[in-house]
Amino acid sequence: MKPHGTTLDGLPTDVASEPIIAWRVWALTGRRDGSDLLLRPVARRARTWQPRQVVEASCRSSRWHEAPEPLCTCGLHGTHGIEVLRKTKGPAVLGRVALWGRVIEHQHGFRAQFAYPQRLRLICQFCFWTTGARREAPRHVGWFPRGEMMPICDEHLAVARRHDVFPRSLVTTDEVAQRLRDIYAVDALAI
Amino acid sequence: MDIGQPKRIIEIEPVTLPVPGEVVPDADPAPHPDREPTPARPEQRVP
Repeated sequence: MKPHGTTLDGLPTDVASEPIIAWRVWALTGRRDGSDLLLRPVARRARTWQPRQVVEASCRSSRWHEAPEPLCTCGLHGTHGIEVLRKTKGPAVLGRVALWGRVIEHQHGFRAQFAYPQRLRLICQFCFWTTGARREAPRHVGWFPRGEMMPICDEHLAVARRHDVFPRSLVTTDEVAQRLRDIYAVDALAI
Repeated sequence: MDIGQPKRIIEIEPVTLPVPGEVVPDADPAPHPDREPTPARPEQRVP
């Protein structure tokens, strides 16, 4: 990587020819039978990640700057490690994401102009919150109204059932994970 | 999600895009200068 100079904000700039690979989580939507899968940012209002298409950042706060802007929070986020992602709301998929174009590196992650997923794994969000990503992959993916798909382990499925938040239908994780990898043409994430 | 303070900006122009089926513009080799242009295929007509 070549040092390039500094910006008006005082940030040093570098030039590189290889994408940065970072960690990221997504929400997942689809049909009741596990088809039409689509990765979505966990921030629900943000745009979906279409399969086999470069995702380009835009800023919802301001039309007057390109994303990412150093003094804003816009851009496609990725993180250096997994731990910071455990605080996100409603993650269904954990993965590695390629970031390129204009990329702003932060203390714990990145904001990028362009992105595309590289490796994906379905996670039980409750296990992820409580113990991290090194648990076994959940066996089921629950389907909820509005197409929300929630991978869930046996233990937390039983808890959900006790609290009357049982999904409308269940699909096997293997089936959904394979379809997701095929649609986005990416590999499985091994942890 | 808090990713902390910005540290630096990196301008990344990848040689190959990490997206299936996507090609970096101008990544195709230029045609050889001595090579004659390929004639256009005539339209296929359905009898």
